Amino acid sequence: MPFALARKLSRRSLLQLAVAALPLAAVGNAHANAEIGQPAPAFTAQGADGKPVSLAAYKGKTVVLEWTNHECPFVVKHYESGNIPQLQKDATAKGVVWLQVISSAPGKQGHVEGASAIKINGFRNAAPSGVVLDPDGKLGRLYGAQTTPHLFIVDPAGKLVYKGGIDSIPSTRKDDIAKADNYVKLALADLAANRPVTHASTKPYGCSVKYAD
Amino acid sequence: MPTFSSARIASGLALLALSLAADAGFAASSRASTPQVEAELVASAAAIRPGDKIQLGVRQKIIPHWHTYWVNPGDSGLAMQIAWRLPDGARAGDIQWPTPGRFKLGPVVNYGYENEVTLLTTVTAPATLPAGGRFPVRATVDWLVCQETCIPQQVELELTLPVQAAGSAVGPGSPLIEAARAQLPASTPWPVEAHASKDALTLRIADARLAARFASQAPGELWFYAEQWGKTAHDAPQPVTVVGDSLEIRIKPGDEPPKDGETLAGVLSIRDDDGQTRGYRIAAPVSVTAGASAVAPPTGDNAGSSGLSVGMAVLLALAGGLILNLMPCVFPVLSIKALSLLRHAGHDRALVRLQGLAYTGGVLASFAALGAVLIVLKAGGAQVGWGFQFQSPPFVLAVAYLMFAVGLSLSGVFTLGASATGLGASLADKPGYAGSFFTGVLATVVATPCTAPFMGAALGFALGQPAPVLLAVFLSLGLGLALPYLLLCFWPALQRALPRPGVWMERVKQALAFPMYGAAVWLVWVLAQQAGPNAIAIALGGMLAIAFAAWLYDSSRNAHVFARHGSTGLAVLTLLAALLGGYAGVQANAATPATAGAAKHAWEPYSKVRFDELRAAGKPVFVNFTAAWCITCLANEKVALSDVGVADAFRQAGITYLKGDWTNQDPQISAHLAEFGRSGVPLYLLYPAGTGSAPQVLPQLLTPNTVLSAIAAAGPGTASPKLAKE
Repeated sequence: MPFALARKLSRRSLLQLAVAALPLAAVGNAHANAEIGQPAPAFTAQGADGKPVSLAAYKGKTVVLEWTNHECPFVVKHYESGNIPQLQKDATAKGVVWLQVISSAPGKQGHVEGASAIKINGFRNAAPSGVVLDPDGKLGRLYGAQTTPHLFIVDPAGKLVYKGGIDSIPSTRKDDIAKADNYVKLALADLAANRPVTHASTKPYGCSVKYAD
Repeated sequence: MPTFSSARIASGLALLALSLAADAGFAASSRASTPQVEAELVASAAAIRPGDKIQLGVRQKIIPHWHTYWVNPGDSGLAMQIAWRLPDGARAGDIQWPTPGRFKLGPVVNYGYENEVTLLTTVTAPATLPAGGRFPVRATVDWLVCQETCIPQQVELELTLPVQAAGSAVGPGSPLIEAARAQLPASTPWPVEAHASKDALTLRIADARLAARFASQAPGELWFYAEQWGKTAHDAPQPVTVVGDSLEIRIKPGDEPPKDGETLAGVLSIRDDDGQTRGYRIAAPVSVTAGASAVAPPTGDNAGSSGLSVGMAVLLALAGGLILNLMPCVFPVLSIKALSLLRHAGHDRALVRLQGLAYTGGVLASFAALGAVLIVLKAGGAQVGWGFQFQSPPFVLAVAYLMFAVGLSLSGVFTLGASATGLGASLADKPGYAGSFFTGVLATVVATPCTAPFMGAALGFALGQPAPVLLAVFLSLGLGLALPYLLLCFWPALQRALPRPGVWMERVKQALAFPMYGAAVWLVWVLAQQAGPNAIAIALGGMLAIAFAAWLYDSSRNAHVFARHGSTGLAVLTLLAALLGGYAGVQANAATPATAGAAKHAWEPYSKVRFDELRAAGKPVFVNFTAAWCITCLANEKVALSDVGVADAFRQAGITYLKGDWTNQDPQISAHLAEFGRSGVPLYLLYPAGTGSAPQVLPQLLTPNTVLSAIAAAGPGTASPKLAKE
């Protein structure tokens, strides 16, 4: 393939140029930026408690980003069963930062103000480190979040090491949880043991993220 | 009273039995509804017989703006699921999915159905089914129905069919089944290829009608739905381009792009001329091109493909360069150099050495220049290869003129002044370093069409390498070309071995003019292939002008100063007219090459489509990549490929002989050459029968025996599929 090199180089550098020229907010493609093995896209967003949340502040720690919508049946499955709350408790006990992200636009399913988001977490025994409000969907689009739940894991060096579903059986049935491979639990175990993440990219499943039109 | 009460008890018992039956699951009906979806279970026949295959359909009527999901739901959502409970021994197949549609919610894209859909499943009854009995079917159907919000729902549907005796007539089933079959994707009527690189999946559909439609009309709706999640990005546009008779759909790969050899399965949905959307099932094996292996360093990548190390390539290039000295177009030029050396044999040894170095410098500078041009063209993304300059008709014409002029000079029609930077300088009494340098340049120019054995592999390797390696291989080739003469200059013992100078030298010189004329004739023929018959008249007219100019120049050399200047001026004008007129003439004609009628030959013209078609059918194929300006290629065709025995062997083994003509640039052929690490012709490939069989690469110098033994080696496998078919 003597000429592939030249073509490859020029195409890649063009792409880099194109990406560099795009302002962050204009990125409309659903999975353009968050790539496994690449630095996770940096962000600063509004927290439910009114304080800004910045990814850079958690350098040196593992960060889990969980897109959520408390009215979505897939999210309900994993909260009513206690699956996600337990994962949150186990992870944060080991020093992992777990951030819920709510990208539902105002007037759409799952959209809540900061105070309600915290109250809802109380009702369902959720224990994240924080809740990020993303009503304009910028953070969701930056990461290419498609579903609720949709999970991303950033390692202590700031690299994206996991993106995908919560587990391996896409359904709304609670009794499937025990039968499924919990990809997030497995990825966190891999990270804790300094192993490369075995299933780094899996199929996310759930309701669509209710972005602003 | 007792009777009355017993009647009440009886009715009570009956009610109880009924409700028990309901608990046991016999109360489900063939219809069920949720606020969003009405579902119904239907069958393709009114009854079932032992061993029958019938189709069952789950029909959904969905309220407006809501949808359910296809087997690949896209970015979110959930495919519908049906769990069957059938009588013992009966089997249900997989869901047959109708062609889906697309739903876009912001950046999230889903694949599924709205309004109405029927999912078909084939059910096979056991052969032991007792006639007169019942065949109850029960389906638990799970779906997620979404507008913007999503609701998971589940219904139970039941249907009981009477069992009839085998061979008896069965009444028609639900008309919904027939309607549902019409919605299933059809098998694909066209050849489809899938190529993957890091940035794109390309589906190429070879169909002239489809291509014509998309080329001439505003593109109708066309979408490829991948069956598996992760193969394609569901939200990215799928631009369509028309390439010749093919349609190319460019698709952004998803998070789990297909690997080499994997089959990409899905449905291609096309809105047809009549406004109807039709689906076609696609299952194309994916070939991954080098662009995909972004992690592998380019050196390792390419070294692997041609199986050569840098050192080996440099050595092969050196050997190739040495062999170039013996090529018919180079030999006369070198002989002239050797002859001139004889004249100076008695002279200062240092001067002779300097001449040798000047010649070597000329060769190396030319090869460095060629290498630099290739590097620049490559950086621009052009498909170039060795001998690429001969794909330009004006260049071929210029070399033809040059050969002719050298011939005239050797014949003694004219002699250029010793100070001139011409070829004659080397024959002059005074040792002209510039002359030696340009003899080196000339040797390189005339050597290019003669691809020596070993050179092909080395150059193919070099072209895939970073610039320094490419230059090293080219310079090594040049060194090989210059080496014999250089040794002659530096080694007096060799000089002494040459015959003594004398009048015979003038005769030899004149005799060597004829290979040059021969080369010119051949190049005019090449030109005719490239630019059509008019180019012959242009080239010959130009040669006449050159001959006239040469005669004018020489005959006025000793005339009066005015006459001399006048004739020289006229000669220069004639020469300019020949060159410019020739250039304009062949440029204008370049687009109209004479097409040789392929029908009367034993070969077919190569095209990627034809080649792929033959390979897909598992037919054995011999591919000959050639060019009119490639001497080795022409020699091989004459000696080996036109041989009656070889032609017979091809016929008997059922081998299709495809001839790819690279005389003019052809990106398809360049790409095929690149697959084998080559950048120039000739290349001979013998693909044995069977899809996916690995080809034999034949040597660059062919004899009938080489070809025959290659056919024999591919033999049994090559001949048998043909026999099996007959």
